[in-house]
Amino acid sequence: MTTRKALWLLSLVTMGALASAQPKVVSGYENGKPGGTLTMALSSAPQTLFYYGAIDSAIQTLANQMFDGLIEYNYKTYQIEPALAASWTITGGSKVYTFKLRKGVKWSDGRDLTADDVVFTYTQIVANPEAKGGDAGNFAGVKIEKVDAGTVRFTLPKPAPAFIHYMRLPIMPKHKLLPFSQEGGKKPGEINNAWPTNVDPAEVVGTGPYRLQSYTAGQKVTLVKNPNYWKRDADGNSLPYLDRLEYLIIPDSQAQVAQFLAGNLGQLNITGTDFPTLKQREVQGAPIRVVAFRALFGSPPHLAFNYDDKNPELAALFRQTEFRRAIQSAINRKRIIDDVYNGLAELPGNGVAPVSEWYYDTTRLLGSYDLAAASAALDKLGLKRGPDGVRLLPSGKPLEFTLTYGSNSSTFSAIATILQNDLKAIGVKANLQGILAANLLSTGRGKDWDAIVLGLGDQPDPELRTPIWKPGGDLYYWHQSTQPATPGGPPQFNNFFPWEKEIYDLWEKAASTTNFTQRKALYDRWQAIFAREAMVIMIAKAYAVGAVSTKYGNYLYSLGVIPGYNPVAIMYQK
Amino acid sequence: MWSFVFRRFLVAVPTLLLISVLIFGVIQLQPGGFLENMLDDPRVSRETVETIRKQYGLDQPVWVQYLDWLGGFVRGDLGYSFLNNRPVSGLVGERLGWTVFLALLTILTTWVVAVPLGIYTALRRHGLGATVANLIGYFGLATPDFLVALLLIFAVLSTGGTNVGGLFSPQYIDAPWSWAKFKDMLAHLWIPLIVIGLDGTASIMRQMRANMLDVLTQDYIRTARSKGLAERVVLWKHAVRNAINPLISIAGLSLPNLISSTIIASIVLNLPTIGPFLYDSLLNKDQYVVMALLMMSAILLMIGNLLADLALAWADPRIRYE
Repeated sequence: MTTRKALWLLSLVTMGALASAQPKVVSGYENGKPGGTLTMALSSAPQTLFYYGAIDSAIQTLANQMFDGLIEYNYKTYQIEPALAASWTITGGSKVYTFKLRKGVKWSDGRDLTADDVVFTYTQIVANPEAKGGDAGNFAGVKIEKVDAGTVRFTLPKPAPAFIHYMRLPIMPKHKLLPFSQEGGKKPGEINNAWPTNVDPAEVVGTGPYRLQSYTAGQKVTLVKNPNYWKRDADGNSLPYLDRLEYLIIPDSQAQVAQFLAGNLGQLNITGTDFPTLKQREVQGAPIRVVAFRALFGSPPHLAFNYDDKNPELAALFRQTEFRRAIQSAINRKRIIDDVYNGLAELPGNGVAPVSEWYYDTTRLLGSYDLAAASAALDKLGLKRGPDGVRLLPSGKPLEFTLTYGSNSSTFSAIATILQNDLKAIGVKANLQGILAANLLSTGRGKDWDAIVLGLGDQPDPELRTPIWKPGGDLYYWHQSTQPATPGGPPQFNNFFPWEKEIYDLWEKAASTTNFTQRKALYDRWQAIFAREAMVIMIAKAYAVGAVSTKYGNYLYSLGVIPGYNPVAIMYQK
Repeated sequence: MWSFVFRRFLVAVPTLLLISVLIFGVIQLQPGGFLENMLDDPRVSRETVETIRKQYGLDQPVWVQYLDWLGGFVRGDLGYSFLNNRPVSGLVGERLGWTVFLALLTILTTWVVAVPLGIYTALRRHGLGATVANLIGYFGLATPDFLVALLLIFAVLSTGGTNVGGLFSPQYIDAPWSWAKFKDMLAHLWIPLIVIGLDGTASIMRQMRANMLDVLTQDYIRTARSKGLAERVVLWKHAVRNAINPLISIAGLSLPNLISSTIIASIVLNLPTIGPFLYDSLLNKDQYVVMALLMMSAILLMIGNLLADLALAWADPRIRYE
């Protein structure tokens, strides 16, 4: 073959490859220029570099930059959009999902992404019950098969309208992870040992905008641009713009703010508590921008009472809707929003963020702050005040309980104090008990608590939160006697209240309805019952607050850990 | 001397065994555990937790777990971190370098500053310099180290500085060593040195001062002076040498600080040491990491004590190996 002929052939092949590639075009943002570095913070060192090897916010944040799912969320509307899958169809009575993979997507080591990778990820990792960060529960009975090199089919045992949301889980490279899998002849638990923190960075291969360059133990993770990334901007320039992402490991939030003010961090997610300090600097002319958005994600705090309290008298009281609604009237949401969140919060939804398309306006049902009305309602329940002003239970003992909260969260401690004060004013004695915020949920799922201030995350689709809000669910912790007596068994329906049964039926129905309008109507009804019964008392929904150096353009707030939402790819350095 | 060392070693073994039983017991006593924490995530089912429990041998009776661990520890296997899916030794090794460096540097600085200051304040105890040094000493003793850290960070920030934590600027953390990297480290190092060292400096200075004052009133000092010895000889050969003895025992006790002290300051200052790692492991109930670190701390305490006794015997001819 002559050189000319070879060149001609080569260019033909290249053209062919270009013609078959399907880059995704991201438009509606400024066109940035390539280059630059962005430094951000991680609150803890990654426990592993394998997304499914641990439930760990550090690796979740990093994985968002290094891997992609089949689908992703729109940066502005949170609507589902194609990612590694270019298109999909839902057929067979909403039970068969067929995904056509995007053509021309390459792993960061140059290998092609194929249907084998997708099938491997879901069958060997996600559905592996021993993968610590897997999700076997939601893939039980789901058949996952390769149709051809570019097509994957999921067949569900029954229709699940939110199933599509699970398709944003990061796809992993089969050619690197096979040796850790059952398919590769290992025990199921072995998958957790893939890519430990001392792995050779070249092994960590992904399709995301960045790939791993180095990890300095306990200090820093450096990612560099993946030249093979499959997104383009409106002008056809390849994304991402930034050459490097650096993550400094800074456990203390005050130290993070200091590092940001010193200019060592380019972007930082903060809370309403830090907002005044930073905003003041911005107004004084510091080269930073502090922005607040109404948030879809994030965990709004609620006040829950233990329906199955060890003290039978308290349990009987906590089970009464009238009691919970009376307590709700004593909750000064406006003060909490103003004082604790510095105004950067809004009235909460009931299990759904107010900004979500699923939100049903429950504001009226949340009631208003009225101590006199709260007192009157408690009087009506027969809870007379004792000589010291504390109300008495029927047995003559004072109405007194423990209020558990996260003592290392400035937000939760402030809220708990405000609640305690207002409850005192209506003759209810709450004794504060601070525990580590990280242990709140395990405490709540235990038996040893009376009332608790706890936050559980909002998601784009209520269905994703079934274990929390559906009575008898794993995280329906305030009424544990509804939970199955044996793992995997049916809920204990005999312990349901009528309204809980109604909610249960609504969720059952919604889980097999695929029409959006019908589902919305069902979930609307649930939110109304939730608010009416004050099942748990929602307190406030914080805004998302982020600070960014003015050096960077196209900044969009991101929690960082949500799979399928990664606007860092469009950020650029001015 | 060697028989003394050998005897001390023999005593150390049962002590360490007792300590290990205590630590293991305390870890088992805390409510919940690493696996229970996992259940917080709705994705994790009870069955998953049970299989992982078997995988880690946590379904065995506590005493079997303890003996397994002990067997491994004796053979130099520090166990396995549940949190990191990695052997503990590698994780500790990654963080040990900076920890030892910082600790030794701090101990050295502390001594180099504190002992002369203690002598000085004892000799000129009513002078202006001594009063100022004492004041700083009181401040150092009375202020928690993390507060000093926050104050220093605030001071650096308000003067427009950028070195507010860590040992390096971000771009140097994973860069190869160079003159620029070294200078960058020096620019960061003074804050942790002050924060970690201030408390120790103050207490050693106070101790040295008290010892000196005590010794200076002794008869043998008067005798030495009346013999007509030069003041320099009286001071260094008779006074200081006697006054410094109690400090040598203190030095031995400061060895375990390598691991367990200054956890909070390390977190506030974002230092790449073992302290924050231990803290994380405690919160996450990563039991073998906690065991390994606390046992290392105990062993260092033993070694430190032994070294102090040897040094004491060497420095003070009145002390004999018993």
